[in-house]
Amino acid sequence: MAVTHAPTAEAVPEPGSGLMGWLTTTDHKRIGILYLINSFAFFVVAGVFALLMRTELARPGTQVFAPHAYNQLFTLHGTLMIFLVIFPLLAGFGNYFVPLQIGALDMAFPRINALSFWLLPVGGLTILSGFLVPGGAAAAGWTGYPPLSEQLGTGQDLWIAGLVLVGTASILGGINFIVTILRMRAPGMTMMRMPIFTWSILATSLLVVLAAPVLTAGLLMVFSDRQLGTVFFDPSRGGVALLWQNLFWFFGHPEVYMLILGAWGVVTEIIAVFSGKPIFSYRGVVLAFLLITALSFSVWAHHMFATGAVELPFFSITTELISIPTGVLFFIWLATMWRGKLRFEPPMLFALGFIAMFLIGGIDGVWAASPAMDFAIHDTYWVVAHLHYVLFGGTLFGVMAAMYYWFPKMTGRMLGRRLGIWQFWVQIVGFNMTFFPMHILGLRGMPRRVADYPPDLGWSFLNLFASVGAFVIAVSMILFFTNIFLSLRKPKTAPDDPWGANTLEWATTSPPPIHNFDVLPQIHSDRPVRDLRIQREGGGS
Amino acid sequence: MAQSVRSRPPRASGRLRRIGLIALLFLTGCAKEGISPTAKDVHQLYTVIMILALPVFIGVEALLIWCVIRYRRRDTAAPAPVQSVGGNRSLAVFFAIPAVIVAILFPFGEQTLMKVQQTAAPLVQIHVEGFQWEWTFLYLNEGIFVSGKTATDTAPEQPAQMYLPVDEAVQIDLTSRDVIHSFFVPDLLFKRDAIPGRDTSFTFTPTTLGVFHAQCAEFCGLWHSHMTFDVHVVSSADYQAWILQERKASASVTCQPNGTQLALIAHNISWNQNCLAVPANKPFTVSITNEDAGIQHNFSIYDSFFEKQQFYTSPKLTGVASETLNVDGLPPGHYYFQCDVHGPAMSGSFIVAKPGGG
Amino acid sequence: MSAVASSNRRSRPELSGPVLGMVLFVASEAMFFAAFFAAFFTIKDNEPVWPPPGIHLEDKLATILTVILIISSVTVQVGLRSMRSGASRRATVWLGITIALGITFLALQLYDYSQLGFGLKDGPFGTLFYVMTGLHMAHVFGGVVFLALVFSQLLRGRLSAEHHDPMSAGAIYWDFVDVVWILLFIVFYILTPR
Repeated sequence: MAVTHAPTAEAVPEPGSGLMGWLTTTDHKRIGILYLINSFAFFVVAGVFALLMRTELARPGTQVFAPHAYNQLFTLHGTLMIFLVIFPLLAGFGNYFVPLQIGALDMAFPRINALSFWLLPVGGLTILSGFLVPGGAAAAGWTGYPPLSEQLGTGQDLWIAGLVLVGTASILGGINFIVTILRMRAPGMTMMRMPIFTWSILATSLLVVLAAPVLTAGLLMVFSDRQLGTVFFDPSRGGVALLWQNLFWFFGHPEVYMLILGAWGVVTEIIAVFSGKPIFSYRGVVLAFLLITALSFSVWAHHMFATGAVELPFFSITTELISIPTGVLFFIWLATMWRGKLRFEPPMLFALGFIAMFLIGGIDGVWAASPAMDFAIHDTYWVVAHLHYVLFGGTLFGVMAAMYYWFPKMTGRMLGRRLGIWQFWVQIVGFNMTFFPMHILGLRGMPRRVADYPPDLGWSFLNLFASVGAFVIAVSMILFFTNIFLSLRKPKTAPDDPWGANTLEWATTSPPPIHNFDVLPQIHSDRPVRDLRIQREGGGS
Repeated sequence: MAQSVRSRPPRASGRLRRIGLIALLFLTGCAKEGISPTAKDVHQLYTVIMILALPVFIGVEALLIWCVIRYRRRDTAAPAPVQSVGGNRSLAVFFAIPAVIVAILFPFGEQTLMKVQQTAAPLVQIHVEGFQWEWTFLYLNEGIFVSGKTATDTAPEQPAQMYLPVDEAVQIDLTSRDVIHSFFVPDLLFKRDAIPGRDTSFTFTPTTLGVFHAQCAEFCGLWHSHMTFDVHVVSSADYQAWILQERKASASVTCQPNGTQLALIAHNISWNQNCLAVPANKPFTVSITNEDAGIQHNFSIYDSFFEKQQFYTSPKLTGVASETLNVDGLPPGHYYFQCDVHGPAMSGSFIVAKPGGG
Repeated sequence: MSAVASSNRRSRPELSGPVLGMVLFVASEAMFFAAFFAAFFTIKDNEPVWPPPGIHLEDKLATILTVILIISSVTVQVGLRSMRSGASRRATVWLGITIALGITFLALQLYDYSQLGFGLKDGPFGTLFYVMTGLHMAHVFGGVVFLALVFSQLLRGRLSAEHHDPMSAGAIYWDFVDVVWILLFIVFYILTPR
């Protein structure tokens, strides 16, 4: 590597102050924080939608929301959670920490970075603005299957427009991450010394760049059918309704990994740090990530077993194969903890919760991977349980771990430990109360996406139980936001490296200066900050 | 819900084994038993996967809890743990364990899949159409059809009723008139999507008497949650009796011509009349009023619900709207009219009376 | 972007950040068009006859369009080589020719549209033909704009033998647009029986 000097302060423009400074910033750290603020704002909106849905489903019959309203609620809950909460949360952490973890000054294209952030709130508000138009917001589910999505009103057009904006943003962001990671690493930061989180963002970005454009193409086809009179998905005029599902899931299954890889990355690092040991097999994690990235393009039609129109054995075996590298990750996490010295700080608690819950989401997916069984549970609450164990039990627990882990680096303040532990326990109890019973509901035949259900099928109690659980989750989130609020009022007392961590972001101050590093340490391994710590301790004694 | 008697578990020798079996039964008891042999196979597959998955689940969670208890840091002053990392061998083991599970699991799944996809020569063949938001079952060989009525803001749905003779193979030919639906009978542990522009078939043999709740499983719009139907598995005699009764009911629909100006109102996805009549060979008018906001209807005349010959069809009319259609005279006979958007669910008899005839 | 590390050990120069960015962008665009080609084959296989009755495409003009784009791909590469060897005036000329060919393509394609006997709403063929060639046309337009910006940079002497990333990126994009057109020509003109 030719660059031998640390990036210097002169290379970076001074940040503007005040609101304008934030609105016009191209600093990856500020953009990262904007991502997080934006994501948590949409998280509150989409979470409230979920509470409203659970309120309606608490009892059979229609109490609060008629089907038309309910259909909009679950459509926007799914759309916002996936496209404007979970993915941007991981992208936000990526924005803040990838340049720090590889010792770069900023992202490769700072202005494009700002653009890809600002497209997100615009896209999200476009989707939400559907509530203001006649006929209401989009109501065809987050999967937007035509011909249904071609029947509905203007809200559906706004949904398409919003998703095209968000998709474009993520493609630009993905390109930015890849170029940053491949071209801007500090001297000594070889690929195989990069933090695992950076690897996970690299894999995510590859998926985004190759899969998201397929969704954009499909959305444009629906839009053209709706507005220009073309026939892509209109079977009465020569179109093929199933075409959408192939395009959508070709994007949609890699999307699942876009939503989880980042969480795997940060959890892997947290487990190593709080066990006081290196990652048991760094190469194994990287290999698993790359295998999953490659395989994720070959499993899409397992979402379509019940159509009777796909090659069942092929997509069944690829789906089961992808569970192998996923299983490897579990072994590596456990082996990393094995004979370690575990510290149960809030980041570690959430990481452990992640392993325990994501395991369930991985295992219950095995039933759905077998086509004969999938015929029974596809489109039932089993699937709702499964996807929430992956995206909530998995990613959101991982995001919480990341928040507690990195908050001191981002703000210079620690998040409250007691409140964090309380949040963890309330959250894990509420989560399991809400989503575990959904497995049983699915086995008993309750379809997903229903605004109502008959009282005489034995579904009522479990639904009520799940609804109570949803409000327990809400309590845990109130604890979380309270914790953030209280911490932000305290003085900036967090040390540079409060956790005894490994990766480069902990070598700079908390929060980092605008140019990221005053002095960049020598990088000889995948744990440069630990090397530095040992060097100092060795020098001191 | 009728449930078959659970098959007796094999004779357990030890107490431990019995407890294990009870635990397993408890876990597998959540899944429906199934009312057909293939459904029971799927239930068995559920159990097989449970047997493979449960040790993995318990094993991983136990290791996790073990690590949490055993390796928690008790003494902050203690030296750092051994910085051990795994080599290729442990990585190979990590890959091998899930690979072995997949290698066991996949053949079981395929075996069950082949059973589920087996076709049998059917005694009963039912053409099933989904529409927003109910079902029509056309018993083509028996010459009858039944339809449900969709739910509305003011009235619940009237679920379509499917009657099946017990222990006989049934073939379902499935399609949709509008958006994608899914034919889901939980007790069959099976569903298949009803896709517009695409026909798909499957067979099964119900072996348990009873009435079983069923409903659409693919989100299809406003009243998706009320797109239910009931499957009645009845004795052969009861089935024949039901067929006769339905035939009689459809034959009894008749009416007399009263001029050449017909009026028809579509409301809540139903016509206000199930019988229309005109004199033979005289042009006539049909004034259609579509009172369903945002929903399309049209008016077509066919020989019968088999739709072998079409005598008239109008363009679709989106409600709320009305129009008057001019139709050429027809030779005398018994015809059939329907809205093509919703099919037999919105249909009736169309009688062209002989001139001078009563 | 100059904080990019280049390797001394390797003889093959690495792609610079912006050029790598363009390669990734083109990969993303390729997947975008791949989705439409997937739609093409799905819908075609679903039709009993292809092309549907009443559809007739003349390939004379399309052949000329293909030749124009292929030539323009050559000219942009010749321009890039000139740039690399420091002949910026020659590069300017070749780039100008490329832009002119691009504009000619756009004009001829619009003329071709006006001569066709079917429209966007005329069933699956009209849908696929107009949407796919239309999206391609939008990309050609985008390419012309991009190359025009590079052209103005060239005129103002902003690019040199050492620093010409925008021109490299533009050439990659232009070649991509050309390849997409060749694929469109194959599916709509060569593989569609007349």
